[in-house]
Amino acid sequence: MHQHSLPRSGLSALGHACVRSVSSWWGLIHFGAVALVLALSPSTYDRGNRAAVIRNIYASTWQVLFWFTVLCALISLVLIRIVVVTASSYGLSQYALEMVVRVLVLELIPLGAALFVVLRSGVLTSTGVTASPLHIEHVPRIIAIAFSVATLAAVSSIVALVLAYLVVYGLSQWGLAEYTHMIGRVFDPVVTVTFVLKTAWFSLAVAVIPLASALQTQHETARESNAVPQGAVRLFLVLVLIEGVSLAARYV
Amino acid sequence: MHPESKLPSVPPPPNLEFKVALLLVLMVVLAFGSLAYVMYARGVFENTQRVILVADDSEGVTVGMDLTFSGFPIGRVQRVELADDGKARIVIEVAREDAKWLRTSSVFTMVRSIVGSTHLHVYSGVLTDPPLPDGAVRTALIGDATAEIPQLVNTVRTLVENLQNMTKPDSSLNTSLENLQTVTQNLKGPYGALGVVLGSDAHAKKVITTLDQSQAAMIQVNAILGDVRTSLKNVDAVLAEAQAVGANARVATTDLGALREQVEMNLRKVEHLVDEINRKWPLARDTELKLP
Repeated sequence: MHQHSLPRSGLSALGHACVRSVSSWWGLIHFGAVALVLALSPSTYDRGNRAAVIRNIYASTWQVLFWFTVLCALISLVLIRIVVVTASSYGLSQYALEMVVRVLVLELIPLGAALFVVLRSGVLTSTGVTASPLHIEHVPRIIAIAFSVATLAAVSSIVALVLAYLVVYGLSQWGLAEYTHMIGRVFDPVVTVTFVLKTAWFSLAVAVIPLASALQTQHETARESNAVPQGAVRLFLVLVLIEGVSLAARYV
Repeated sequence: MHPESKLPSVPPPPNLEFKVALLLVLMVVLAFGSLAYVMYARGVFENTQRVILVADDSEGVTVGMDLTFSGFPIGRVQRVELADDGKARIVIEVAREDAKWLRTSSVFTMVRSIVGSTHLHVYSGVLTDPPLPDGAVRTALIGDATAEIPQLVNTVRTLVENLQNMTKPDSSLNTSLENLQTVTQNLKGPYGALGVVLGSDAHAKKVITTLDQSQAAMIQVNAILGDVRTSLKNVDAVLAEAQAVGANARVATTDLGALREQVEMNLRKVEHLVDEINRKWPLARDTELKLP
């Protein structure tokens, strides 16, 4: 009797784990959908919430925009220089700019912005998360984080594009036509739409997943110690998934 | 519970709303500016005309690829499609302001390199030709560096085989070289180049003997010629004599004319004298009987 009960309990534990995981993911998707709907509803932006949104945007974007842009510009400069010099040494300088744009602007900067906002917002450590009604406290925060990811990615991308031009052509204006042509070649409709959608999904994932995981944890107090890694793991999983899908859409 | 009460108790920073509004405006400007720039870069605002290139193979041609003229991109591949005859149709949009480089005599090429992508080029040799009309269909000449490799390998293989055939022990080249060696050895022999030319020393010997005999004959001929020259001199003397005789005869002939005239004159005188005698001699008149 005892010998048969062990595999049965193992199977039931596996079943419970699956159900719990599916329900957890479903709860996360549901939370994200509700947050999105609330964020897009005009009624959310009443006087009180608007003030909260403004404060959150100030804290999540304004305070970091300058330093993040400077940091990103430095890293971009190093990478651009490496790519351009290496490509020139192989006689492939005509591909250097295109490679810089494709790798840096389309891939690294949005991912970097998303990860930076995640680390800075503190949602992974559940600080400041309370089980209050969704639209009262969390929607302004979600909006602010999503806005922060989009803004940091956009500003840093523009800065990186300008830096790439300056590194390759210097302060001359005569490379502008060629550079514009290259930008036009890289940003075909598929790439542009994929880039915009990827950044939007990054914003949503970063804003929703850690918060939803933290809220779920508060309902399941028994598993609290395990909650932080779970939110982080889910977030990174989703980010990698979005990145993979966007790459597949462009290059497969 | 109001959300304001949940916010940190620190005093709000100055110009909070203005800063956030600035961020929002910045974001909107960036978004629309980037969109407009990308649209401009992709030539959305340009007037274009269409050129259709027909090629046997569209391998390496992608949508968005450039068509270059003198290294400058003047057009973009808009579409690549398969025609009814199985050939690839590459539809290219060329900006109107750059369409002046396309002429009816322009040549379109598609170059595939070993490293890097395929390139489309247009060459316009005569820029005074009429401009290419919108929607013109042209054949793309394919210059494929890799496609020539098999042909090159075949040629090299044939070349190597020929070299092998030439360097075999029984090859014609080797035989020729051996013959050449024999010839040079013969050249060094007693009869030298003559033996080489005539094939054997015996023939060369005959030729030399003949030459010697010819030399002797020539000496004899020279002696005969000397005699002939002497005889001719004698003949010359005889001729000179004859010439003198001729001259004398001519003088004599002239004197004969004068003599004859003199004789004629004397004869007339005699005749005249006879007539005078006959007139003065009366008897003489009666000798003739005149009948009444």
